[in-house]
Amino acid sequence: MRTRDTNKEELVKQKAIEMLVKLGIEGFGMNRLAKESGVSVATLYIYYTDKEDLIKKIGIEIGQNFFNEMVKDFSPTMPFKEGLRKQWENRARFALKYPSNVACWELLSHSSYRDYILHESLSDFKIIMSDFLKNALDKKELLPISTEVFWCVAYGPLYSLLRFENEGKNFGGGPFKLTQKTTDEAFELVLKALTL
Amino acid sequence: MENHLENILVFATNIKTEVDKQKVSNLLDDHSGIHQWNIDQEDIDCVLRIVSNTLSEVQIIDLIYSQDFECAVLE
Repeated sequence: MRTRDTNKEELVKQKAIEMLVKLGIEGFGMNRLAKESGVSVATLYIYYTDKEDLIKKIGIEIGQNFFNEMVKDFSPTMPFKEGLRKQWENRARFALKYPSNVACWELLSHSSYRDYILHESLSDFKIIMSDFLKNALDKKELLPISTEVFWCVAYGPLYSLLRFENEGKNFGGGPFKLTQKTTDEAFELVLKALTL
Repeated sequence: MENHLENILVFATNIKTEVDKQKVSNLLDDHSGIHQWNIDQEDIDCVLRIVSNTLSEVQIIDLIYSQDFECAVLE
């Protein structure tokens, strides 16, 4: 009986994520992945039925990891300010800890795999976040705005700051480091915009 | 940590097109010893993947040969 080595499988997954980010979905292939991960093609096919299966599984896993990080110490019944701050902390931690996973997620969420992966991995998260917003509206802590506008205002500034942090550079090309002070400054402005 | 899976057999074939695939589909679908199968036709080796607890590699190769396709164990 063939066996599967979970360490090796983890290595294959990480390599696949890196390659997807670097080469895109079209450029990515099982043969090349096998070569770069130091496993045989046959071994890859023990783990996954085909390229599509591999991409779907990787997307779902990233989504589930994201979900697990997002709900850490978070509850949809939290006061709005506290809950949003927790979301900022969780999102920033995930983005800084797993930059390749985030880049891969970005790529897949603009591909034909998007709906399948979102459905399989983030359905529960969507419900939790909807509840959070509904509670905030009911408690009159949040302005009534569309979900898209909410998302842009609530998280746009954070993701922009995280991009500066990832690049390590500010507008002038000088060094940039995301500090608590900068984060708090942006967060307070976001709160001002969103709350009554 | 290692966990045991069902027996998975993988082969390089020349089952390249949809028409080719149709030719082996019924045979593989109807075979009581085959739990699940698929062919990755995007791959250069048109990898045939079979999940079976009873069949050997040689038996699968014979089966594919009988439909006039090439089939070799993928290393």
